[in-house]
Amino acid sequence: MRVPYTWLLEYLKTEIPAEELAEVLTMGGLEVEEVEEWTSADGEATDQVLLTSVTSNRGDLLSMVGVARHAAALLDCEFEMPDYHIPAIENPNRADADLTQGDSRITIEDHEGCPRYSALRLVGVEVRESPQWMRHRLEAAGVRPINNVVDATNYVLWELGQPLHAFDHKLLVDGHIIVRRAEPGEKLVTIDGVTRELTRDDLVIADPKGPVALAGVMGGTDTEMRDRTKNVLLESAHFNPTMIRRTAQRLGLSTEASYRFERHVDPNLTLPGMARAAKLIEQMAGGDVAGPAMDVRREEFAPRSIEMRPARTNYVLGTELPTDEQVELLERIEFEVKREKLEQPEGLEQAWLRPVPESAQAAERLTVRVPTSRPDIEREIDLIEEIAIIHGYNNIPTTLPVNTSGAGTRTRLQKLEQRASEVMRAAGLCENISYSMMGSRDLDFLCIPEDARERETLCLRDPAAENQELMRTTLLPGLLSAAQRNVHQRVEDVALFEIGRVFIDRGELQLPAEEKRLSAITLGSARTSTWNLPDQYEKMDFFWLKGVIEQLLERLHIKDASFERAEHPSMHPGRTARIIVDGEAVGYIGEAAPDVQKTYDLPEPAVLVEIDFDTLLDHAHLLAQYEPQPRMPAAIRDVALVVNDDEKHTAARLVNVAEQHGGEFLQEVRVFDVYTDAERLGENRKSVAMRLTFRHPERTLRDEEVDEAVNRITNQLRRKLGAEVRTW
Amino acid sequence: MENRLRDMAEAARKALREATSLDELEEARIKYLGRSGLLREIQQGIRDIAEELRPQVGRMINETRNELERLLEKRREALEAGRVHERAGTDRIDVTLPGRAQRVAGRHPLLATLDDMLEIFLGLGYTIAEGPEVETYYYGFEALNYPADHPAMDEQMTFYVTDDMLLRSQTSTVQIRVMERTKPPVRVVVPGRCFRRDTLDATHSHTFHQLEGLCVDEGITFADLKGTLLAFARGMFGEEAQVRFRPDFFPFTEPSAEFAVTCFVCSGEGCRVCSGTGWIELGGAGMVDPNVLEGVGYDTERYTGFAFGVGIERFAMNRYGIPDMRLLYSGDMRLLRQF
Ligand SMILES: [Zn+2]
Repeated sequence: MRVPYTWLLEYLKTEIPAEELAEVLTMGGLEVEEVEEWTSADGEATDQVLLTSVTSNRGDLLSMVGVARHAAALLDCEFEMPDYHIPAIENPNRADADLTQGDSRITIEDHEGCPRYSALRLVGVEVRESPQWMRHRLEAAGVRPINNVVDATNYVLWELGQPLHAFDHKLLVDGHIIVRRAEPGEKLVTIDGVTRELTRDDLVIADPKGPVALAGVMGGTDTEMRDRTKNVLLESAHFNPTMIRRTAQRLGLSTEASYRFERHVDPNLTLPGMARAAKLIEQMAGGDVAGPAMDVRREEFAPRSIEMRPARTNYVLGTELPTDEQVELLERIEFEVKREKLEQPEGLEQAWLRPVPESAQAAERLTVRVPTSRPDIEREIDLIEEIAIIHGYNNIPTTLPVNTSGAGTRTRLQKLEQRASEVMRAAGLCENISYSMMGSRDLDFLCIPEDARERETLCLRDPAAENQELMRTTLLPGLLSAAQRNVHQRVEDVALFEIGRVFIDRGELQLPAEEKRLSAITLGSARTSTWNLPDQYEKMDFFWLKGVIEQLLERLHIKDASFERAEHPSMHPGRTARIIVDGEAVGYIGEAAPDVQKTYDLPEPAVLVEIDFDTLLDHAHLLAQYEPQPRMPAAIRDVALVVNDDEKHTAARLVNVAEQHGGEFLQEVRVFDVYTDAERLGENRKSVAMRLTFRHPERTLRDEEVDEAVNRITNQLRRKLGAEVRTW
Repeated sequence: MENRLRDMAEAARKALREATSLDELEEARIKYLGRSGLLREIQQGIRDIAEELRPQVGRMINETRNELERLLEKRREALEAGRVHERAGTDRIDVTLPGRAQRVAGRHPLLATLDDMLEIFLGLGYTIAEGPEVETYYYGFEALNYPADHPAMDEQMTFYVTDDMLLRSQTSTVQIRVMERTKPPVRVVVPGRCFRRDTLDATHSHTFHQLEGLCVDEGITFADLKGTLLAFARGMFGEEAQVRFRPDFFPFTEPSAEFAVTCFVCSGEGCRVCSGTGWIELGGAGMVDPNVLEGVGYDTERYTGFAFGVGIERFAMNRYGIPDMRLLYSGDMRLLRQF
């Protein structure tokens, strides 16, 4: 809200400069974002304007008087209300909520929506431009001056916080105001010229012919003030915050009035607001108040009484504020306090309460009467907060909690996740963070079939942008887009991984499954430079990234891991593997499928990994157990096998056969060379060289023992896989 | 005889010292120290001198031999080193060519910032918890004491999936989940992603990260909240850092506060980073509202607690001088390789 400084000082007996006042208010819970130097459009007035940002619980600070009252409490100085005189009032508290007075009548049909409707009739006004002082004030507050009557209502809205509306009395059918719900389909042209279609949820001010105003939001054109208006019906009402909010939201129409009603206006402000406006209108537009004011309501709006224990204040705040001081602080914000000594300290004898110093007078109770301008104060804790604010947060001591609940540690899963990130980074992959939203377009780009789990998506009702309507079910779109952006920036080497959540829909009745994925993409080289290096050392190809994943599995102390040829819709059909850990599939690694590569405009095949991270960690171990280093020397034999170059004769298969038949001393089988050469080996044949390592735990193996084992292995390879064996 | 020995030694020293190649050195060795060299010859002449002088001369001969052998060894080393040096003319590499190592990547600046924050709270005895990013209305608002249909909810700019399902707009939702499954004392920090319908620009993002803290026990006070956040600020910015609290409003805390730390760039003088105020706002905090504690079944008379939330993006941007929040989500290798 714009708070002109000189206007504010009318109610505040202080000479504090605007900048200092801004600081005091900010530290007292009313944030002043800026102090603006203001000059009027005609250049004849200047002021400083405090731009305040009011928290949604403090509707009472949305007026000059509200700000002044709060500032007075913070500064501990005098505060003065503006001048008005409440006229005679006709018949308050009528159970039938219907009141006729002279040529005017008010009927409240919806009491939930409108607990109070006050009105006053002014006759013989002369509508014209407001005097300069009024125009300047409104201009400084950011309100466009209209005419003296409307300006008076806006002035009071700003000054007291009570929204008002001035009707041309002559244009109200029968001078009859009816507060009711709108009928479905009813229409109203509001003063901004827009035709509004109304629903049962909207509260309207109507006359017998139809709606004349959107209650608490905006008036209608049919009954608004004109230049020739002579008689005015001045409305000063109290409306239900929630109903006003719903209407304002539904119509996308936030006005100064609706903004205040949503944040609760003091129901006892209708009469002062009306009286103050009447006084200003009489002053600027002439005319007379005609007859008593009307005030239609069914109940009193009495101040709330709350009990509080001064000792509790100190228990919650960690202060040692004596009761005297607490009372004084509450009285400064115009709360009435009644003190009461208790025979028996109430609730305070419990062992867990911190020993309360004598000064806190534990055995006292306060009864606090809270003005109706503060509906946010309902409980003891609310009063404690008020005391803290007026006392000043920065005057509260600074301590650390006394009790300790033990050491803080990361959980097993948190440690494993940290380790996984470390391994990936040590391999040269950078950590990526991408947005959690994606579009169904991204799944199309990845060629994900309609029945895949990735299509079980959660759809946002109000997405932030196009192609961001779904929660991601895979991390690959984020990584591929990042790779694409890098390529467009001419970055040739891309190595990125992300550990993040995906969201799998489980229907409306259940929250989605939030699963962690570890995914990666590589493109180009992993090295700082590659001069003179042959291609296979230069590029992060399938086997490079596979090696990284193997390292990851090793560092997570996963013993039983294997890779088998598999298919993945986004990956190259011949160059993709499923990653299997302890017999359970945990993810895929493969070159990007040619279509995917093309869609993302990548210069060469990228290698992709996507791992179900939660499942992977199920199989991981934080700690490894020590295995003694072998004392005996190993016997090593190299074997070269020539086999068909096809899916039946994979390296894993050859190793597997060797391991099965190598006997108890075979320790390791490792492929160290693979080549094809049609001339030497024949068409579709390949040579695979393996190193066999044998070891006995206690003694040196004899040559005959080793030879026998090697023969067993080669015989089986010959028999089962048709291998031609060449030994060195 | 002694004179002969002295003259021979002098000549030998000169020859050894002045040998310019290993071959010359070998020649000198044979001449003086060889099997039939001059020293040997002198040694054999010992028979011809008086018996009582023999031990003394013998000692002199030995000393001379030792000395010459040391000299020979030293010279040989020097000549050999010289020979290697000569080879450098033909056998050398261009040491200015770039290295060819496997790259190593650093932590993402956002996560490095978070790590440092977590370190501090682990040190203060907190554990780390996580919670769902997609939440029910109950955990998102109701359990956090948001009044139904209140303007406070507008500020959250929440993404909805259905009326009852939403993306959490703050990590505070996890407070409830943690307290539901834990009896006090509770001391936990919760890092995580949050979402708000904010437009993407240099300082706003619809996806961002927060660190939430929650401490509930007997006798936890607002003063303890201040002390904890002071410890946090000093852990992040150094022992000189000060914190400042001003009242704010959050439905789930009472009293509520906004907290700021003295600007680490200008130490409070006022600069561009702190918009001239000398303070950098870090987040919101407050004493857990009794309604929230009651909602999870805690005895609100007995237990009090505080909670706080810190945005991580702003923090990381200030710390590394990153001007645009979107860079943190860009996956730009040129950015990520810097940290
Ligand atoms: Zn600064």
